[in-house]
Amino acid sequence: MKWPVKWCLAAGGSWLLFSGWWLGARGQETEPRRPHFTDIASKSNFAYRTDNNFTGRKYFPQTMCGGVAAFDFDNDGRLDLFFTNGAKLPELQKTGPRFYNCLLRNRGDGSFEDVTAHAGLLGKDLGFSFGAAAGDYDNDGFEDLFVCNAGPNVLYHNNGDGTFTDVTARSGITKPKDVLSAAAAWFDYDNDGKLDLIVSNYTVWTPQTDKICAVDGREYYCHPKVYSGVAHRLYHNLGNGRFEDVTEASGFGAELGKGMGIAIADFNGDGYMDVFVANDTVRNFLFINQKNGTFKESAFEWGVAYDESGNAGSSMGADAKDYDNDGWPDIFYNNLRGQIWGLYRNMGGKSFDYVSGVSRVSRLSARNSGWSNGFVDYNNDGWKDLYSANGDVEHMPESREHDTMFENVDGKQFRDVSSSLGADFNHSGYQRGSAFVDLNNDGFMDLVVTSLDEKPRIMLNSADNGNHWLLVNTIGRRSNRDGIGAVLKLITASGRTLYNHVTTSVGFMSSSDKRVHFGLGAEKAIASVEIRWPSGIVQTIKKPRADQILTVTEPAR
Amino acid sequence: MKSIAVLFAILFLAPALWSQQPTGDVEGAIRTYREYLTAHPDSLEARSNLGAALSRSGRYAEAIAEYDLALSKSPDNPVLLLNLGLAYYKSGRPADAATRFERAVSLAPQFKDQVTLLLASCYNTLARYKDAIALLAPLENEKSADLAFDYLYGTALIGDGRNAAGAAVVDRVLSQGESPEALLLRGTLRLRAHEHEGALTDLQKAIALNGRLPGAHARLGELLVAMRETERARAAFEQELAVDPDEFTSNLNLGVLAKQDQDYAPARRYFASALKARPNDPGVRYQLALLDVATGNRDEARKSLEGLIAESPDFAEAHATLAAVYYRLDRRAEGDRERALAQRLIDRQEAAQTGAAPR
Repeated sequence: MKWPVKWCLAAGGSWLLFSGWWLGARGQETEPRRPHFTDIASKSNFAYRTDNNFTGRKYFPQTMCGGVAAFDFDNDGRLDLFFTNGAKLPELQKTGPRFYNCLLRNRGDGSFEDVTAHAGLLGKDLGFSFGAAAGDYDNDGFEDLFVCNAGPNVLYHNNGDGTFTDVTARSGITKPKDVLSAAAAWFDYDNDGKLDLIVSNYTVWTPQTDKICAVDGREYYCHPKVYSGVAHRLYHNLGNGRFEDVTEASGFGAELGKGMGIAIADFNGDGYMDVFVANDTVRNFLFINQKNGTFKESAFEWGVAYDESGNAGSSMGADAKDYDNDGWPDIFYNNLRGQIWGLYRNMGGKSFDYVSGVSRVSRLSARNSGWSNGFVDYNNDGWKDLYSANGDVEHMPESREHDTMFENVDGKQFRDVSSSLGADFNHSGYQRGSAFVDLNNDGFMDLVVTSLDEKPRIMLNSADNGNHWLLVNTIGRRSNRDGIGAVLKLITASGRTLYNHVTTSVGFMSSSDKRVHFGLGAEKAIASVEIRWPSGIVQTIKKPRADQILTVTEPAR
Repeated sequence: MKSIAVLFAILFLAPALWSQQPTGDVEGAIRTYREYLTAHPDSLEARSNLGAALSRSGRYAEAIAEYDLALSKSPDNPVLLLNLGLAYYKSGRPADAATRFERAVSLAPQFKDQVTLLLASCYNTLARYKDAIALLAPLENEKSADLAFDYLYGTALIGDGRNAAGAAVVDRVLSQGESPEALLLRGTLRLRAHEHEGALTDLQKAIALNGRLPGAHARLGELLVAMRETERARAAFEQELAVDPDEFTSNLNLGVLAKQDQDYAPARRYFASALKARPNDPGVRYQLALLDVATGNRDEARKSLEGLIAESPDFAEAHATLAAVYYRLDRRAEGDRERALAQRLIDRQEAAQTGAAPR
C-alpha cells in the first residue's frame, strides 16, 4: 500500500531533496543518495507523552521510560503503535491519564487514532511500565501484548475485536516480589509451535527501597552498582493460555544480571533459538539453547561477556542480525557515552570476534549514550546499518543527544550519516525506546522513537533513493503462527545473498515490525527466498517479485 | 623526562654533580674525553666527566653506558651513582633513577638534601606516592616556602588520595600566586574529587600560561576521559607526549584508545613507552595481554595473564580475560575455574560499592 502522494510530499519535502541531489551530481563526486526521516506525529491527535514523573527527586526507574511496540493489532495490514509510560512516584501508580500507556491505530492516511481506552490498554492498574513485547502466543491470528513493569507484569490477550483482556492471572506468569522487569521477547525455544516468553529483569526495587545518591547535596541517578542483580525469567508456553515458569529448570535462574535489551537468534545454526541479554554494568549473557529445554550461559566462551578490555559496560539495547551477509547473526549492543558500543561478528557459529574497532564503531560511538538500538537497512542497499536512540542518563541540558545512524559500508565498516537524515531524525532529547516498522508499507523502514517528557516521534522514511526491497510476512502452521525464529535466505538475480530472521525483539524496551525486511539495492529481481521454519521445514519461493509484501504460509510438511 | 621538579632541582644539583665538566664546547669536550680515555681507559674522573658531557648534550644512553663502565670499576662511588641516576631520570627511566639515588644516599648521606626532590619526583612518576610522602613529610616545616617542594608534596598527597592534606598544600602554593604549577595542582585535586568543571578551568588556565608545563596536558586528558570527551582527550594526551614523550598516563591512555580502534601496532608502542616509565605496571601489562588476545596470540596472552594473576590475585578483569582465553584454547576446566574466580571478585567489588560515584 502506498500512502497518498500529496501527504508524502508534505511530510517529506522530497522535491527539495531531489533538487539538492541533482545539483550535487553535476559537481564533484557525490555521496550515495540517502533517504531522510520526517516526524508525522503532529498530524495525529493523541495525548501520550513519555512521563517519568521527574520532579527533582531521582528515582531509579525514571531513566527508563517509554517502551514501544509496533504490531498490527487489528489485522488491517497496517502496523499500529503501542507505548508504555511511567507512574506517579513514590506511589508507583498510574494515578491519571498522563501516566497511561497508549495504543495508536494506524489509519493508513498518515495519521493515528488513540484507541487505548477502547482497547483496554490504559494500564490504570499498573505501576511504572517499561518494555513491551508483541506476539501471538495462542496462535489465534491476533497479536497479543506483554508489558514489563516495576510492579506486576501484565499479559494482554488480543480478543480480535479491537480489545484486549488482561489474562495475567490465569496465564501463570508471575515473578518474585518487587522485581523490576525491563524488557521481554517472544520466541519458541523448544520449537513446539507455541511462543515462549523471556523477560529481562534488572533488580529488586520499590520506591521505598530506592537509594539516594548525591554529591555536595546535588542528587544524581545512582550507579547501577548500588543495586543487586536478579535472574531473568523464562516462561514456557503450555498452550491453553497457560505458562510455566521454567527459570530454574532451564538454567536461566543460575545467572544474576541487570537485564536491559534482549536479542533472539540462532547463533550456532542448530535450528534452536538462543538468547543474548545486555546487562547494565555486569557481564552480558549468551544463553545457548541445549535443545532439551535447558540453556547454557556461554558468554565467556563465545567472547561476548565483556568488552575487549574485560570490562562490563553499561550495556543497554541489543539486537542480533547478520550485518555482513555471511549467514551468521551478529550482535550489536550500545551503552553510555565514553564507552564503546559493542559490535561482535559471529565466527561461523562458534564464537564472536569483537569488531567495534575495525568497523570504526568505537570512534563513532564514544560520544553518545545509547538506549534502544538495532540493525536496520534504512536505505535498502542490502547492508544492515546501526541505529541508536541516544540521550544521557541525567536530566541536564548538555546531556540531550540526537539519534545516530551508522551506515554500513560493504559489511566491513560504518560511517555516521546521522546529519544527512533530516532535522527530525536529529532531534535533541533524552531518547529511550525505538521500533523499526514499515508504517506505510512502502518497503522502507520507518522509525518510532520515544524521548523522556516528550511526545514520541513517528518518523517516516522518505523512501526516495530508488532502491528495491522485499518484506516477508511469515505465517506459521506447524511452527508458531508468527513464524518467530524462521531464518530467511534471499538470493538476488545477480547471486547476492542476504540473510535475516523473524524476531520482534529489537533494541531496548521495544518490539519491532515482525515482517522480515530485505533491501535489494538497485536489483529488481529475486532468484529465490528460502525459509527455514522453526519446525525444521525448509520452504523455497522461486523468483518472487521485488517491491512487495510477500505473505508466506508454512507448508504442512 | 622533564618536570617542574627537575627544573628546580637541576639548578642546584648540576653545579655539584657536574663540576668537573668543562663549559662551552660540549661536543669538543666529549671528543677530548674520548681521546683521553683511549689512552687512559681506567680514569674514573675522565669517564665520569664524559658521562656528564654526554648527559648535557642529551645523549643519555651513551652517558649511562659510560657511567655503568665507570661503576663497574668503582661500584660504590656515590657521585657516579648520582650522575647515573640523573641520566636515567632525564631519559625517562624513573625506576632505574630511583634505585641509583637510593643507593647513592645510603652510601653518602650527605647527598640526601640534593637528591630528595629528584627522588620524590621519581616516586611520584612511579605512583609510589607513599614513598614520596615518607621522604617529604619530615621536611614540610623546613621547606614549606619552596615551590618545587610543595608541588611534589602536593602531587604525592593528592595521588595517595589524601585530598584534605593535598588541599592545604595547594592553598599554600596558590597563596604565592596563580602560577601554572599551582593551577595544575589544584586542577588535579579537583579532578580527583570529581569536580570536573573547576578542574577544567584550572587545567586550561595552566596550559594557557605554560603550554609546555609537564603533566598539564595529561591531567587534562584524564579529565576529558572522565567527561567522556574521548577525541579531545586523545588530542590532550598527544600534546603531552609532544612535551614529554615518556609520560606514563598519556602513553597508557593513547594505547587504550588505539587498542579500542584496533590499531594494534601503535597501541603496543604506547604501552611499551608506558612500561618504560613504570616497569611491571600491572595495568599496562594487562593491556599488552589484551593485545595478544586481540591479535590471536592466545598462548602468549595466557602466559602473561597467568603471571599477572600470580602477582595480583585480586585482578578481576585479568581473571575474566584469562577465562575467555582458556575457553578459546579449549581448556574448559581452567576456564570454568577462572570464570568462577572472576565472578567472585566482581561480586565482592560490587558488594563493597554501596556509595558508587555518578555513572
